Amino acid sequence: MDTSRYKGIYLQEAKAHLSDIESGLLSLERDPSGKETLDSLFRHYHSIKGMSASMGYTPIMRLAHAEEDLLDKLREGKLGLTEAMTSALLKCLDVKRELVGKVENNEPLDISIDPFIDELTAASKAGPSQAHPGPAAANLPGIPPAHAGGLRLSNVMRVEGRVFDELLATVGDLFMVLSSFKALTLESRSIELKDGVHMLGKTVGSLHGSILSARMLPIEDLAAGIPRIIRDLTAGSGKEVSLYTEGMDISLDRAILEGLSSPLVHIIRNAIDHGIEPASERIANGKLSIGSIRVRAHARKDRAVIEVSDDGRGIRKEALRKKAAERGVPLEKTAAMPDKELLKLVCLPGLSTAGKVSETSGRGVGMDVVKDAIEGLGGTLDIESEEGRGTKVILELPRTTLITKALIVGIGPERFLIPISRIEKVIEADTGAEDVFSYEGASVPIVSLAPLFGLPERDGRSHTLVLVDGSPVLGQNGESPLAALRVDGFGAEIDAYVKPLLPPISKLWGASGMTMMVDGSPVFLLDVQQLISRSLERAI
Amino acid sequence: MPPKRVLIADDTEFFRTALKDILSRAGYEVVGEASNGAEAIELAMTLRPDLVILDVVMPAKNGLEAARAISALNLPLKIVMCTSLGYEPIVEEAVKAGASGYIIKPPSESKVLAALKAL
Repeated sequence: MDTSRYKGIYLQEAKAHLSDIESGLLSLERDPSGKETLDSLFRHYHSIKGMSASMGYTPIMRLAHAEEDLLDKLREGKLGLTEAMTSALLKCLDVKRELVGKVENNEPLDISIDPFIDELTAASKAGPSQAHPGPAAANLPGIPPAHAGGLRLSNVMRVEGRVFDELLATVGDLFMVLSSFKALTLESRSIELKDGVHMLGKTVGSLHGSILSARMLPIEDLAAGIPRIIRDLTAGSGKEVSLYTEGMDISLDRAILEGLSSPLVHIIRNAIDHGIEPASERIANGKLSIGSIRVRAHARKDRAVIEVSDDGRGIRKEALRKKAAERGVPLEKTAAMPDKELLKLVCLPGLSTAGKVSETSGRGVGMDVVKDAIEGLGGTLDIESEEGRGTKVILELPRTTLITKALIVGIGPERFLIPISRIEKVIEADTGAEDVFSYEGASVPIVSLAPLFGLPERDGRSHTLVLVDGSPVLGQNGESPLAALRVDGFGAEIDAYVKPLLPPISKLWGASGMTMMVDGSPVFLLDVQQLISRSLERAI
Repeated sequence: MPPKRVLIADDTEFFRTALKDILSRAGYEVVGEASNGAEAIELAMTLRPDLVILDVVMPAKNGLEAARAISALNLPLKIVMCTSLGYEPIVEEAVKAGASGYIIKPPSESKVLAALKAL
């Protein structure tokens, strides 16, 4: 190749590539995974390499070759960009500039480039975390640390999620063992045994607490993906949606958060597909052209409430009644239903998946699936909607999983567990056959559990009333949220390692989980909301 | 033999010029130059060359994508890939994509002419 003829073109193009490389590297520092930047940087290095090889400018070619290699690994995702890489690449850039200057001035290319290539190699070998060039013998006696920090391990460890599942299951077993020791202390007079078991209980409790908190993740970790979902769903739809979030720092057990993922996407998809109107329709209705979706979370005792609301069309209740009628729910019944209960019908299987409901009701694709998933997590789902104004889906979920403080209650020959988080007070009362109980000036409905489970009611007038928080079934419009569960008697408060109900009993009515007692007998954890709603014939 | 009409695609003017010089000296007519893959496809359609020389690493569709797209047009033309040392595996893919030959950079007169003669 007659190089003299091409030197002018080489210089002109090489300089342009070098300045593009500089701006590329800087923008890469702001966005290390920018695919387009990585691709174009790769091409610039590749071009310089090829041109320099053709011209016989070996040092520039070798540098560009090493840089091209690194960029190739970065764009393939085999390496993650580190600060050490960027600074090595910037140093190489400066050397190349110097070399190109020498080409221009017809000077020999007498710069040793090996140290720069070595630094590049070291930076790419140090891996995606922090790059420390060379081994640092920081803590050996007599050898000064290579640099200020020496070798340091991060305070944050990566642990597989299942390790925490196993830890928690082990603590569950510990609780069961503890329960049998506790039973022993009741019969024993040994102060040492009682003290020992007490201490053991405190230690297991604090171990449990540590594991639970290690499993917690902020909702933010899940919500971070929502903007992208919104972007994808609105693309080309003529709709524009802004997302507002609040309380995303509330943390939930990882398993629950994971289970929340697909219901949440489903709810947001419904909001965009069926709730938010196209911009033109919104403007015609006097709304802002950009729709909004709000995801708000707050903690309620040991549960988290997550609300997803949109300012779209809302659910057309007349259409919903008509659809429900087609599915066998008579119009007379739905006409008398309060809104809250009517909206629940969106979650009826079959109705919600019916082709046209999404258009007429403005919602409802697979809401039965969403409801099942949320209930499977021990949570509840509520819908509020106003035609023309929007829809709000309210999810209430336990924040932690599996180990629940619960009270043992007896109904006839059977034992059940009531979650302590729901209990306000336990009262022995002579209520006879009354169906309301007066408590602190409020009239509290009595829910007798025996008939609900088809168990014989004990004779006699004296019963135990367990006052429980019945929200959100109760407590609307200023009424008391309390209900009184009537049982025959109560026993100890235990830490129950509650296992979710799996097939074939996954749909057991009135229960949300089960645990094994020390004697090996299974006991069900009662689903308080479901019981109240069934008994008082109110929608959950 | 009438001079063959050639389209050159490379993202550097440096290599386009080098190729053009070699081809012109050998009696080929360079009818167009493209600086990226997308442009190459467009020019292949409008200029109807007999021969397209495609660089592999290019922005806006690389040489391989361009080769596939141009082959799919079913035009009476041949495709030759022009690639750097170390990119030989891509040549195999390029053949599948419809290329009939390749040149390893830098494009010397003897290499280019030998590759074109073998078509």
